[in-house]
Amino acid sequence: MRADWWSCDGGGRSRTAHLERPEISRRALLGTAALGAVWWMSARNALSQVAVRPRSREGNTLVVIFLRGGADGLNIVVPYGDGDYFTHRPTLAIAAPRNGAASEKDRSLDLDGFFALHPAMKDMHGLFHSGKLAAVHACGSGDKTRSHFDAMSVMERGAFEGSSGSISSGWLARYLNTTADAAHDKPLRAVALSATMPDSLRGAPGAIALETVSDFALNIPGDAGTYVEAKATLESMYAPSKDAVQSAGHQTLTVLDTLNRLDLKSYRPDNGAVYPKSDLGDGLKGVAMLIKAGVGLEVACLDRGGWDTHFGQGGSTGLQAGLLSDLSACLAAFAADLGTLSSQVTTVAMTEFGRRAKENSTLGTDHGRASVMFLMGGGIRGGKVYGKWPGLREDQLEDPGDLKVTTDYRTVLGEVLEKSTAATAQNVFPGLTAGTLGILRDMNQRMVPTPASSLDG
Amino acid sequence: MEVNRRDLLKLGAAAGAVALLQGCNKLLEPVEADPLAQKLPEPREVQPELRLLNRVAFGPTADDLHSISHLGREGYIDQQLKASQSNSLGMNVRLSQLDVVQLEPSDLLDLPREEVIRQLQQAGILRAVYSKNQLQERMVDFWSNHFNIYSRKGDTAFAKGMQETETIRKHALGSFPKMLDAVAHSPAMLEYLDNSENAKGVPNENYARELMELHTLGLGGGYTQRDVQEVARCFTGWTIETRFMRPQGHFRFDETTHDEESKVVLGERIPAKSEYADPSVYRGERDAEIVLHKLANHRSTARFISRKLCRYFLGEESPKWIDDISATYLRTGGDIAQMIRPLLLSKDLDKAPPILKRPFDYMVSCLRVAGAQTDAGEAVQKHLATMGEPLYEWPMPDGYPDKTAAWSGTMLPRWNFAFALAAGQVGGTEKPKLNAAQISVLANAPVLSQNDELASALCLASPEFQWR
Repeated sequence: MRADWWSCDGGGRSRTAHLERPEISRRALLGTAALGAVWWMSARNALSQVAVRPRSREGNTLVVIFLRGGADGLNIVVPYGDGDYFTHRPTLAIAAPRNGAASEKDRSLDLDGFFALHPAMKDMHGLFHSGKLAAVHACGSGDKTRSHFDAMSVMERGAFEGSSGSISSGWLARYLNTTADAAHDKPLRAVALSATMPDSLRGAPGAIALETVSDFALNIPGDAGTYVEAKATLESMYAPSKDAVQSAGHQTLTVLDTLNRLDLKSYRPDNGAVYPKSDLGDGLKGVAMLIKAGVGLEVACLDRGGWDTHFGQGGSTGLQAGLLSDLSACLAAFAADLGTLSSQVTTVAMTEFGRRAKENSTLGTDHGRASVMFLMGGGIRGGKVYGKWPGLREDQLEDPGDLKVTTDYRTVLGEVLEKSTAATAQNVFPGLTAGTLGILRDMNQRMVPTPASSLDG
Repeated sequence: MEVNRRDLLKLGAAAGAVALLQGCNKLLEPVEADPLAQKLPEPREVQPELRLLNRVAFGPTADDLHSISHLGREGYIDQQLKASQSNSLGMNVRLSQLDVVQLEPSDLLDLPREEVIRQLQQAGILRAVYSKNQLQERMVDFWSNHFNIYSRKGDTAFAKGMQETETIRKHALGSFPKMLDAVAHSPAMLEYLDNSENAKGVPNENYARELMELHTLGLGGGYTQRDVQEVARCFTGWTIETRFMRPQGHFRFDETTHDEESKVVLGERIPAKSEYADPSVYRGERDAEIVLHKLANHRSTARFISRKLCRYFLGEESPKWIDDISATYLRTGGDIAQMIRPLLLSKDLDKAPPILKRPFDYMVSCLRVAGAQTDAGEAVQKHLATMGEPLYEWPMPDGYPDKTAAWSGTMLPRWNFAFALAAGQVGGTEKPKLNAAQISVLANAPVLSQNDELASALCLASPEFQWR
């Protein structure tokens, strides 16, 4: 008898899965399980030397969510106090919070008497008023191409404009090179929760893309000996610090050892947090697992696409509302799940540009300039919309009719880095002039407790 | 595809002998790489035939090596450029069973979208693995990403099959201007970039922008935001037939939503209907036809396409080859086969820097090198999705990234596929016919285990085999 499929995840669990041959007998399955028990014992010994390092004391985790496609900031943090908003958007405008003519479910959720959140963002509305969430409006880069790809590249490299060609690494990679662990080849310092690596991590040593955190397993068909031989050979083939592929392979094997010590499959979020069943929900749940496991996670990147709403954007319901509802529920679940650990985790949501003030003839909006950013967690002085409102009157807009950028997005990220980590903003964002909006308290003076490692196996 | 083991072993031996006779194979010249992320492997010896089949085809098979030794490099390339070889009965039968290959978009609408996407991916993988016209399939992959369609937006999935056959594959090695024109009229693109809804008033700029930025001129290719808006006006009324009792799902020009005022595109004025002495000769459709013609014959388009082709085949943006391919583009009016022929015949290809296989390239090369029989069904597709490149599922209009840095995040899903494949544990896929020694020759990777199955898997999982 041959074990049909082995999945040894090293931490002691083995399972049969993907049994593709229906004729396999119950006896054979039981036999497989018995073999599994043997492997369980040996794997346990082999891997017990790998200790999970405690989370570094100064370690703050930075979580960056990139809303790809150019999210329409005007319908997310609605400037209902600016009358021109309603003129530009006869069909797409979100009703003001106290607009008696609109039904309650269609009305935006008031933030400060001028701005209000889209009605699909109830959870984030709660986070805002409990002081955990802040927004920055009319922010963006200096990129005026209105090209997704140029604008994303500028932001992920941490440049102001596309012409800053001298900057080729990602801003998070530069940040990671400034932290205390920069010299150490630690696994799981920086993680992208996706199959591909974002440009913001370009050049970050040891960064890894994890399409999934809980199912990260090496599946070797065959017996336990085959698994050991296969893994050992992979380890000899993939040497550290060689070419891009060898480094990635080496990193993969190291991360495999670390993750397999943690019982991530049985992870249950704390405080009754319920993550939406979406890529973003799964991703943030994975990030929460890693943070609680104390593996030394410094940076996590997540993507949420679909914001390119040229057509059928919708108002209080529809395409954009669906995206916002997911984002809102995901952030709320993440905050609840982290509980007191939230104070050491700063989450940023950003997008490459906003959209035209005036709606187009297909119930959508075209590429524009400024949009909004959200900040949550560690050190954030929430409950406030930051930034300088440029206005939506024709003469206040940037040709061909876009919200002007009044806050350089790098100022916001720079402040996050300076106040929640030991980094110097100018080292990460070359050419950035000093200045902050006061979005964060300075966390560097404060000792933070080492988190309880609820997952530490 | 019937692989003859004897032939393969003979070829392996012959290849070894050739290498010995040559004394020393040309070493790859060190390339100045991006020190941050594009760290390329050390130069290593690569047999020119294998190199060629890794670039012109989705990886070598015994049959391909046989063709090259029989026809010579030039003969082989010319055969591939013609793309007129008839395919195996096995592949044709498999394809003929797929509704997306057989039916019109309007007839597909009865099927669930997931089933249509599954069949599209199945057809794409089957052709890449088994087509004898490998270069054509490589170009289909190239143009499918260049003219990316996201099959989960609206009804694009139902129109993608027709778009692939009648625009992409039809012109993949033919005329770029004809392909551009066919794509502009294709319901899949009309829907994906919203032009089917583009109407006078405040036009939808989505297609107009990507047409210039991604399909033709490239960013910085000489257009302005104003041009984007003017081109969007030209394309108003280009839509999809949905009217009752008409053949559904084809191009239709709707003159009632077309903007008939004058426009200025890239400096050229396009007159309004009212300026015509005889308004009955006015064709609103012509505005966008003028735009497409202008873009297809633009120097920036020639350069932009040439740069991408260079990256795709050569792995670097060589100024010499960009100049050469651009010049051919302009001289021949965008004849794709003529543009790439000199590059494929050039020794520069043999010395070119390694290119990291994208997941699709990797999976297809595994299946080819192992001589695997697969139905390219759900199990295979799931592996590909886990690796990060499910076909026709990239949402943004730029297509799957071609940068090494984007794909070197993790090797795990690739390894898992290699081990499952070698063990015959991928659904709908037979255990490979070839043994480790044979796979080692084709994959150009060492045999590292006494266990034949494991050794085969390790060849496919090796760092060497991740590059082409």
